[in-house]
Amino acid sequence: MKIVVCLKQVPDMESKFKIVDDKKVDESQIAFKINDFDNYAVEAALQLKEKHGGEVVIVSAGPDRAAKDIRQAFAMGADWGMHITDPAIYEGDSFVIASALAKAIETIGGVDLVMTGVQTEDLQAAVTGVMVADMLNVPHCTNVVKINTADGKAFTLNRELEGGLNEVMDLTGPAVLTIQSGINEPRYPTLPGIMKAKKKQLDAKSGADLGVSASSRTAFIKMFVPVSDTMAEIIAGAPAEAAAKLVDKLKNEAKVI
Amino acid sequence: MAKLLIIAEHRNGKLSDATMELCRIAKEIAPGLGLEPVAAVFAKDDSLAKEVAKYIPEVFAVCDAAVEGYTSDAYAQAVKAVVEAKDVKGVLIPQTYDGVDYAAKAALAIGAGIVSNCNKAVIEGGKLVLTRNIYNGKLQETKSVTTDKFVVTFEKGAYDPAEAGAAGAVSTVAVSFTPSRTKVKEIIAMSAGGVDISQAKIIVAGGRGLKDADKYKDVVLPLAAKLGAEYAGSRPVIDSGWTDASRQVGQSGKTVTPDLYLALGISGAVQHVAGMKGSKCIVAVNKDPEAPIFNIATYGIVADLFEVVPGIMANL
Repeated sequence: MKIVVCLKQVPDMESKFKIVDDKKVDESQIAFKINDFDNYAVEAALQLKEKHGGEVVIVSAGPDRAAKDIRQAFAMGADWGMHITDPAIYEGDSFVIASALAKAIETIGGVDLVMTGVQTEDLQAAVTGVMVADMLNVPHCTNVVKINTADGKAFTLNRELEGGLNEVMDLTGPAVLTIQSGINEPRYPTLPGIMKAKKKQLDAKSGADLGVSASSRTAFIKMFVPVSDTMAEIIAGAPAEAAAKLVDKLKNEAKVI
Repeated sequence: MAKLLIIAEHRNGKLSDATMELCRIAKEIAPGLGLEPVAAVFAKDDSLAKEVAKYIPEVFAVCDAAVEGYTSDAYAQAVKAVVEAKDVKGVLIPQTYDGVDYAAKAALAIGAGIVSNCNKAVIEGGKLVLTRNIYNGKLQETKSVTTDKFVVTFEKGAYDPAEAGAAGAVSTVAVSFTPSRTKVKEIIAMSAGGVDISQAKIIVAGGRGLKDADKYKDVVLPLAAKLGAEYAGSRPVIDSGWTDASRQVGQSGKTVTPDLYLALGISGAVQHVAGMKGSKCIVAVNKDPEAPIFNIATYGIVADLFEVVPGIMANL
């Protein structure tokens, strides 16, 4: 099987997000990593490769710093990758990025399956995977929590639904699957894996290289720290002291214990 | 007049709450955009369309065996057909499991830009401005759509449901469907059996901040036992197998409304909050002062939970 995993490098969500000019976050305060959902997609792809043979190709759009996490996926076992380093693409909206990913997948050619995370942790849009499927004119399944295939072509998938339900569905590849967290236990790179990753092929591409002509269909206005009108009463003090005050409030103020 | 269309959502013959929430949003923003609020219901007959008509003035029913159950191919085709037949300019879809599955596809089908997962919509200078969470809810952004047509999806629970009123008009729209490329075999319950935490008066829930399975068991379970509470977990806890899936709180797990909900090391992602925000009293313990859980908690302690919990235990 030839499997493409679309991956995005995102900030660690425990970072401190400081806004600059209402427009962007101060990157000097941020550590970057693979989008958690995409990490599950990499593992799912590697498991299919182990069963059916073939190769796993990583495609990512992002600045130069993203190469570190593409190589992280190489260290896990992915074979090679394509890095769209063009700001005109990665600064575009989901439509532009999906257009570029679809062109990259067509350029790679002969792809049996595309996998990506349900959504990114930073922008939480959950639209790119579905758009890529539509642009490639192939079926898709979102929120995939289980993958069964005997031949790498016909798939039976569990799509997660609300309240602990799953939809069991069939489709035939090529297809796009957006992977939900918890589907597997993503492996950690081994030391030999990390050594090999340094030498694996990573092609840099611009929008022009891929023939992308899309422009954004949405506009960003500004970003801000949310203001809550139901902000918690923060109980101050050393942990033991705060804990004692909390118990007192739960007994005598909220009267819930 | 051009129209602002909401797409109803239903499962097992029942409309979702998100459908009535969209009715409220559509009625609120349509006048400022010079649009008429309308709905579309895709189902085997028009019985649910008649139900939706209590919440919005006009409903288009697409009645066809192809949409008796949900598939993304059929839903995207149905959206396109209604948009073209009825002079629709904007489409509102819930950011639910099904909504996420077809909204972007429907947007491409009608050549529209899409802003997804929004929690607020306002009109500024005649333009639709949408607010949405980013960075796991630590920040928010505003966006607009630059194409003539637009698709917007809304977080479940962001707005209250519309109230029922006088029955609106229902008419049918015929769609010639091409067969879906995906086939639904069945819908199954994954956490059948297990514990019913939804009836508990007190719930002690742990999140990623518990670090590992042993610490989760050592910290959450004794506190729950001492309080006579059920213990529970957020999605990362279930994904990592620290406890049983029947104890998951959130959009993909249980919805709970206990008197007291103790959230330990839980950041407060929207998907988790959706399952517990109806709790009477919420306590959040998290060492990250910017964790969104503090935006909805009653009481908060910004500290290492491993130092706070022994203090709580000692005072009970």
